[in-house]
Amino acid sequence: MAAPNLCSKCLRQALRYSLPSHVSRRTFAASATKSPSTERRLHQASRQRAAALEPQRSTVNEPLPNTSRGQQDKKDASQRQSPRVLLRPNNLFHSYTRSPSPEIRQRAAFIRQNAYCPHPDHQPTRQPTSPFDPEGRKTVEAGGAQQPPRHVSHECPDCGIPVSCCEEHFVDDYGSHLEICDMLRQINEDDHDLVSGRFFPEFEYPGVQIDEAQVNLTNWDTLLYSREFHAVNEDRPMRQVTRLLTYPITVGSVLHELSPYGLKDRILPEGLRSLSALRYTLHPPRSGAGIDVKGIRPNPPPMRLFVLGARAESSLPREVWLQLAHLFPRATFHVILIGPEAMANRDNEFPLPERTPANPFGAIVEDRLGGQMKISTYVEYFHTLHAAQHFYPYDPYFDCFVLFHPGLGHPASSHEWTETLPQLLETKVPVLCTGYTEFDMERDIAWVKEQAKGEADLLMQAGENRFRSLRWDLNDADPGDVSCGNWGVWAFRGKRYEADEYRGKREDGDGSGGWEK
Amino acid sequence: MPVGRIPSASYYDARNRPGASLYRARQPYLIKNAVTGVVIVAFVAGVYSFTIRAIGQDDFSDVPIPDAPIQGAAAPHTTAGVRSAGPA
Repeated sequence: MAAPNLCSKCLRQALRYSLPSHVSRRTFAASATKSPSTERRLHQASRQRAAALEPQRSTVNEPLPNTSRGQQDKKDASQRQSPRVLLRPNNLFHSYTRSPSPEIRQRAAFIRQNAYCPHPDHQPTRQPTSPFDPEGRKTVEAGGAQQPPRHVSHECPDCGIPVSCCEEHFVDDYGSHLEICDMLRQINEDDHDLVSGRFFPEFEYPGVQIDEAQVNLTNWDTLLYSREFHAVNEDRPMRQVTRLLTYPITVGSVLHELSPYGLKDRILPEGLRSLSALRYTLHPPRSGAGIDVKGIRPNPPPMRLFVLGARAESSLPREVWLQLAHLFPRATFHVILIGPEAMANRDNEFPLPERTPANPFGAIVEDRLGGQMKISTYVEYFHTLHAAQHFYPYDPYFDCFVLFHPGLGHPASSHEWTETLPQLLETKVPVLCTGYTEFDMERDIAWVKEQAKGEADLLMQAGENRFRSLRWDLNDADPGDVSCGNWGVWAFRGKRYEADEYRGKREDGDGSGGWEK
Repeated sequence: MPVGRIPSASYYDARNRPGASLYRARQPYLIKNAVTGVVIVAFVAGVYSFTIRAIGQDDFSDVPIPDAPIQGAAAPHTTAGVRSAGPA
């Protein structure tokens, strides 16, 4: 019943006065993850860094791209059998355990069952992952680690999230909690905002623009303006929209020819070589192609983006991935999501296709995304696919590896990357990595440098990503661990040994590949 | 007109004033644009003032004005052979 030639505003108005009962709407009663509808639900999952636990299911409600289903109208809701509560903007802070939303109460129950109290008096339950990790305070030398570990249950009254096992420990450790209390409160309000039932105009993504439209990649505001997004005047919708868009836009901002990173900024000369090769494909000269027979031109193969270790990004709504294709009007993309957890939050798409000779790894291929992008999902380790030469040959003009918070140096996940890293270096294709924090990135860089043994070149120095997620995410397994998606970005590549003109001994001894700052 | 508020999607509000997102999008270029504007206006003002000065009257204050010629009672214009340089 959705008329394709009506604009979204008229459609909203038309549907306001007619109540189709078969259009399922997202109510508080419906769980975000279990959907009775046969249509594919595209979820967006928040990245969780649980070291030993399974990834937390997403509890984010999000209106689907289809406008007839994306309505959250109060008037309609009041006329249905189950009355819905619309959370007003001044009513967004609720304690997690006493939240009006069942999903958030479920999350609170998960946190209470899985997260441990960070007070130093408890014994440690895991290795500290960074020098700032509160788990590092739980040592006998420091006078702690006497009591057995206990799950959190006491909620901070200011941020509404369970952070301590009891009130005594909360008061005792209040100083360290105060550092993140504001951020946790903001996370709380943002989470309730997603389930508040309001209109989400920021999630209506724009389509293609004309070829001549230039995109301004200086910061989020200029990007959203030049890409003709709907105006996002408030901070909260800005945080919600950047949380999803950070994945494609981070990649696009580095690869685009108008990228804010340059030789004067953070790109090294080797990086410029790799990026220029890719930009040759991404910004091809006009060929006079048209839609009729006279306009037939030979087309290059698509640009392949291998997203390794894909978790949350594989369940991003496809409209969000298409924003990457819209940044490059004359290029085509093949986004390949590879990783053992690549089907996180995509339960409706199970079972995977059969393994046939035409599809030897049972990949899900989505090619009806508009003609400019194709998305494939492989639930495998990359080293398996590389050993099988499934993507061979790799071409530095067409291929790029993207690793979103891979945890290369993280003690819990670095062993999974030891086999993949030499293969990545051998392909001589640029590898773009992001990280949660500066410490995380430095650890990853140190790990790559040590594992590569001189075989890797740094392409882009680590630093803050201009297109990072502005919203902070909570790790349900550890409420003290807040992270923002794609905080920083850097890139490396296998060292290319090319014959070069002898220009005498360089005085700065710069043969090491630029790893030192 | 639909009842209820349709959330605004435009960068200008209902009274056609720029919204907050538009100000933020312009913010990296404010200073540079203002300086460029000042430079352009200064150039125009400079050209204008120079031109007006250049086509203005000459300053003859350093030229000595000769005394009025000694005349008889007769009308000056009937005297032959006396050429005057014109009014000073």
